[in-house]
Order: sequence, then C-alpha cells, then structure tokens
Amino acid sequence: MSRTTTILAPIFGAVSILAAWQFLLPLSGVPAYIAPTPTKIFSVFFTQSDLILSNFVPTATEALAGFFFGNLAAVFFAILFAYAKFVRMAYFPVVLFFNTIPILALSPIIILIFGLGMTPKIIIAAIICFFPTLVNMLRGLQSATANEEELFRMLSATRFETFLRLHLPRSLPMLFSSLRIATATAVIGAIVGEWIGADKGLGALIIQATFNYQSDKLYAAIVASSSLSIALFAMVALAERWVMRGWSK
Amino acid sequence: MSSHATAVDARGLQVGYRNGRDAVTILSDVDLTVPTGEFLTILGPSGCGKSTLLRVIANLLDPLGGQISVLGGAPEVARRSRKTGFVFQDATLLPWRSVLQNIRLPAVVGGHQAQPLSDSRVAEIIDLLGLSGLEDRYPSQLSGGQRQRVAIARALVDEPDILLMDEPFGALDEITRDRLNDELLSIWRDTGKTILFVTHSIEEAVYLGQRIMVLGANPGRILNLQDLRAIKTETNACKREDPAIVAEIAAQRELLARAS
Repeated sequence: MSRTTTILAPIFGAVSILAAWQFLLPLSGVPAYIAPTPTKIFSVFFTQSDLILSNFVPTATEALAGFFFGNLAAVFFAILFAYAKFVRMAYFPVVLFFNTIPILALSPIIILIFGLGMTPKIIIAAIICFFPTLVNMLRGLQSATANEEELFRMLSATRFETFLRLHLPRSLPMLFSSLRIATATAVIGAIVGEWIGADKGLGALIIQATFNYQSDKLYAAIVASSSLSIALFAMVALAERWVMRGWSK
Repeated sequence: MSSHATAVDARGLQVGYRNGRDAVTILSDVDLTVPTGEFLTILGPSGCGKSTLLRVIANLLDPLGGQISVLGGAPEVARRSRKTGFVFQDATLLPWRSVLQNIRLPAVVGGHQAQPLSDSRVAEIIDLLGLSGLEDRYPSQLSGGQRQRVAIARALVDEPDILLMDEPFGALDEITRDRLNDELLSIWRDTGKTILFVTHSIEEAVYLGQRIMVLGANPGRILNLQDLRAIKTETNACKREDPAIVAEIAAQRELLARAS
C-alpha cells in the first residue's frame, strides 16, 4: 500500500463518518438536542471560544499536573519496590488494595479533604495515572534477561550502574506504554473531579450543558476534552520517539 | 598475555545450583588443567553442565565443592580484574546502544574497574572483528553473525587473558558459523588468549579445539579429554574434510552416543 493511501485512508474514514452524521442523522429524525450536527458543534468553538477556552485551561492544567505528579510518584515507588524487597513485600499489597477502590467512590473524599479548587482534581488525575505506571514500570525494571544480569555482573557493575545502564533502559518500553494510556486517564481523572465539585473546567461545562439541554456545548466540551487527550498523547509519543531512538531502527 | 602458566586449574570440582538449602549437583569430579594460551573446546549433550562449568570459571556461580583457580587465584579476583571475558549464546547486546556503545560498555560500567578505552584500542578491535562501517548501527540492524562479532569485540576490548564462550555460534546458520569459526581461530592466533569454548556441535568442537573435553550427562562427568594437536598443524589449523578430522568427529560422536 502506498504512503499516500496510508495517510488518506484514515482521513477518508473520519470525513465519511462526519458527512454521514451531518447529512443522514437529521433525516433519521434524531432531535438536535440529542445529537447536533458536526457543523453546529464546531461553530461553538468560534462563537463561544471564550467559554470553551476558560473551561479548557483549568482541565488541561489539572490533567497535565495530575499526569506529571502521578507518573513521577509511580516511577519513584516502582524504583523503591524494585530494589527494596522488604518495602515491596510490606507495601505492594496495600497499593494493590488501594487500586481496587473505584475512583468515583474515592473522589468525594478527596474533594471533602481538599475543597473545590484545582488540588483535588490534580490528586484524582494523579491517582488514576499512578497504578498502571507503577505496575508496568516495576515489571519493566525487572525485565532484564538472565544473560544481561550476568553480563553486568561479569563487568563488576555496581548496583547503581546496573540500574542506570540496564534496568532503567529496559523499563522504558513498558513505562512509555503506560504513559500513553495515562494521557487519556489523566483527562478522565480531571473531568471526574470536576463533575463532583467544580464551577469551571470541561467536566463542569459538561454537567451544566447536560442539565440545560445545550447539546452543542456538551458535544463541544467532549471534543475539547478528547483534543486534550490527543495533544497529551502526541507529546508522549514525541518524547518516546526521542528517548527510544535507535531501539526499533 | 598472562604471566601464569596455568589459566584454569580445577580439582574435584562439583558444579550445580542451590535450590534453597538443597544443592543440586550437575557435574562432579572435574579435574582439569588448562595451560595459558590453549584453545579448549567443551562438548556435551544438553544438561551435562558445560555452561554451568563455564559460569563457575567466570565466577558467575559458586562451585558446590572442590577447588578451582583461575590464573593462579580465585575466580572472583580474575573476574574483578577483568582477566576473564564472557561471550553468551544470544550475544546479549543492549538494544538501546549502538555497536560502538555496546563495545564501549566495559568502559562505562564496573565501578573503579571501568577504565577509559582509547579510540585507537576501540578502532583496533573493530578492525579485528571486521565491524568497520557498522559502528553507528543498532543491534536490531545487524545479522546474527554481526551481533556475535560485536559480542566478541566487547569481551575482548579490555584485553582479558581468558575468553569464556558459551555456545556463541549455536543459533547461527552453518555457513556463518563456519566463517566465524575461522575468524575466531585467526583472533586466537593473533592474540594468544586462552579460550574455553562450549558447544554442542561435534564438528565445531573438533575443528576449533587443540584439546576437546567431552562431558556426559546423568550423572554429569568428564567422559574424555582428548588432545587434537597430532591431527592439526602447529597453529591449530586443519581442513574440515581432512580424513583424520572426519575420523575424529566420528569417534567423538560414537563416544557421546555410547554415553547417553
């Protein structure tokens, strides 16, 4: 398949679905308050750009901060658990238990503790990112082959050298695969936090638009939050390509 | 070159592994003296302990019993002073490091043992292994044979006295294996290293070794230690189709078949 076809095929797919939505859905009798047409949704971005932007910025800030702190903490604890066996044996089951608590059940408690500001949303986004990255990173740090371990022992590598030159690079593919997943979950975390208690942010906008039957605003908020995930994903993909250059050449 | 006359000396050596408090012996009663500069091949069926023996010499594993000395001292001293180099069956190149970076690995890990490598030394080893032009490639861009060349270059770069090779060409096709056998012999002649080469290929063991040590399994033991110098030239050269070599291969095959 040619390069042009590879690029054009998904564009064709998306455009055809949008065209069908634009022209066929109104004919099917679905009311506009349930599914407004794509042009009506996109017009919100131009006619009410201030509203979208003023709600986009808090959500983006919360998702980015949650993504950063959640993954940073996960990497830190993965390294701790990988090298401190007793700490892993003592606390990994606690972390496993903590992960079984649904984030929706946990969110009101976090809001109760930290109030209605940005902090609880950042914490919720961070928690939702934390566990998958912790588990993947821990597995990645332990994924060196027996021969690789022997090679480093043969060279009398110190523990820190083995970590830096073997275990850390070995963990990168798994770390990046969980970071890619976390780009979507961080946004989910921020929006869930806003649902429970916030007067601004895309989550708050979604709730307000739903109760006011402003479906064009509701759909525009969904598109904006999806764009946020895509932008985060693209940033992670770029970082991955730069860090892992050479691996898959 | 080492000043020691004996590279490896083992007396009543027992090798195996520990499983909790239990010790599982794989190979026992190993009496072996390898003079410095010798090319010894170690042949045997799977599970006879040939790789385990190599790991004990390399100090990657402790012996279960008996005595072992490497270059007149403990295997750990030889390993820590980089007197022993190890080549694994699967090359064990780090995929995130280029050919040059993989070869330079011994210079960046090993605490105070990691000595900086001069560019001229690295260029020399790249030339010796025929890796010129491949320095910036990554392992995924190399053929199996090229990967093993890089692994050998990495093991040789900080000039060990003893090279321990654990079935390094076991996963390669026959043509590549034959070519690398000839290259290895040439490196051995040029550098004068002691080489202990583990293989399960009878042809390879006879072709490469000045001596061949045949191990049997269940229980693991030395079946035979044969000097091959009488059927080779002074420089350990021979032709694969030479009747004496062919006869030796047949004899070793029969020995292994009888023992298993």
